[in-house]
Amino acid sequence: MAQKKYMLKGLLVLAVIATGLALPLMNTPSNVGNRLIVATTTSTADTGLLDYLKPYFDEKYSADLVWLSLGTGQAIAVAARGDCDLLLVHDREREDEFISSGNGVLRVTVMYNDFVIVGPPDDPANASGTDAIRTMRKIAESGASGGCVFVSRGDGSGTEALEKKLWESSSVCGFLLSGWYLSAGSGMAATLRVANELGAYTISDRGTFYKLKDSINESLSLVVICENDSRLLNPYGVVLINSSLYPNINSDLAQKFLLFVTSPEGQDLIGNYTVGGRQLFFPIYGQTEKIGLPREYETIAYIENLRKGG
Amino acid sequence: MGGLEIFIDGTIRAVEIILSGNPEIFQITLLSLRVSLTATLLGALFGIPVGYLVAIRNFPGKSLCIAVINTLMGIPPVVVGLVVYLMLSSDGPLGFLRILYTPSAMVIAQTVLTFPVTCGITISSIISLNPRLKETLVSLSAPRFWEAVILINEIRIGIITSFITAFGAAISEVGAIMMVGGNLLGYTRALTTAIVLYTNKGEFSMAIALGIILLILALFVNLTLTALQMHYRRHKG
Repeated sequence: MAQKKYMLKGLLVLAVIATGLALPLMNTPSNVGNRLIVATTTSTADTGLLDYLKPYFDEKYSADLVWLSLGTGQAIAVAARGDCDLLLVHDREREDEFISSGNGVLRVTVMYNDFVIVGPPDDPANASGTDAIRTMRKIAESGASGGCVFVSRGDGSGTEALEKKLWESSSVCGFLLSGWYLSAGSGMAATLRVANELGAYTISDRGTFYKLKDSINESLSLVVICENDSRLLNPYGVVLINSSLYPNINSDLAQKFLLFVTSPEGQDLIGNYTVGGRQLFFPIYGQTEKIGLPREYETIAYIENLRKGG
Repeated sequence: MGGLEIFIDGTIRAVEIILSGNPEIFQITLLSLRVSLTATLLGALFGIPVGYLVAIRNFPGKSLCIAVINTLMGIPPVVVGLVVYLMLSSDGPLGFLRILYTPSAMVIAQTVLTFPVTCGITISSIISLNPRLKETLVSLSAPRFWEAVILINEIRIGIITSFITAFGAAISEVGAIMMVGGNLLGYTRALTTAIVLYTNKGEFSMAIALGIILLILALFVNLTLTALQMHYRRHKG
């Protein structure tokens, strides 16, 4: 009998816990209408740029800016399913595809930084310089004779897309199955750590590389092997998602975010963001010709029209 | 900073966070606890009856059914996350619910993980009961429902074991809740997804601190469950 009583007590306790825990989960928070979900790349999230912009944007539009930190590949896939409100990514070709397939309505360059090819300080491939094509060829040559290793992101990210483009321009092929080419299948920071451990070469956005290099927690011995080649430019685009295809997305707030990052205030904020005294992102909205990219006349006219309330 | 220093620094920070009651970390911890406990209980709610029925009924393909349930105990969380994501996605069959990237989605994904655990342990506990007990119940022509209540009461120690195992699987997994929760700041960020984030950011001691908090949390839950189990063991028979 006593046993039964304890059993009942136990069940009662469990029932109380269950309802107590389940109830708050059923209620959606009141601010859900103000939430803007941005699907973005690990580079904007892990460098802290979005953490920095969030309070300014949230206050101005009484919004709640949140983000999914994904590789560009996954970010675009998530957007193509209508699971986020806005894209902030860096793979021009796939961004354009997203627009031409009708999933997106507008794409504009808002900022840029650049990639650096990094490697071990002793540079076994003798690849250092400012010509990315030469560097890639040297790495491939040295790798083929067992002199060095290259670590690729291998996660379908914008960085990997650039790497593949560089190999193509360098007419290096057949590297996928060779022993000197490793595919990490990881984010930028993890890939840099792998390359560091192996004394290997890799390609990184400058922001993540210096964030790790400057961090006291990391003992990154990798150094910049190649930089300042125009092929290494890394422009970031904001993509508005087609709200007629995905009626559930928060397109109103997405548009406000677009206007915010392209406003003089937003552009200044991006330019003022530093990590360890180093500027990581450079505002470039409306001035893409300055870095040798085509001017985005129509898009800019459209955005400025929006800003005027047109 | 060397590895050992990061670990020491992480431990100090864990103590600091616990003592200062950092609201952001407190919220993250509470979310982890809420999601994983609810998933454990929901998994039991479905897992115990299903496990009971599978164990006492004889039907063709019973062994295969049990083998499948036991195999599902080892399903990678990220696979569960992907399947639940595709279900709940705007384009998916349950997209109309609009619960992707919410705590509810995290509970669903973790329930899919805890269900086979409770179900499988219930099956093996019932099967290992003395067959005479069931024969006696049949000979007494006890109603089906009471037969179930008595048998499940007999295996209560096994059921607590299944709670401990299921909760352990839920609180420690990261793959499923990362996919369906999205690790959104202040909303779906749990301890494990925050640990991944801090690791990616290179803030290792913070990641270690959260790991320690997670272990302390799991310890308290398990202490409670183990006390309950010991209590039952003393009062058995």
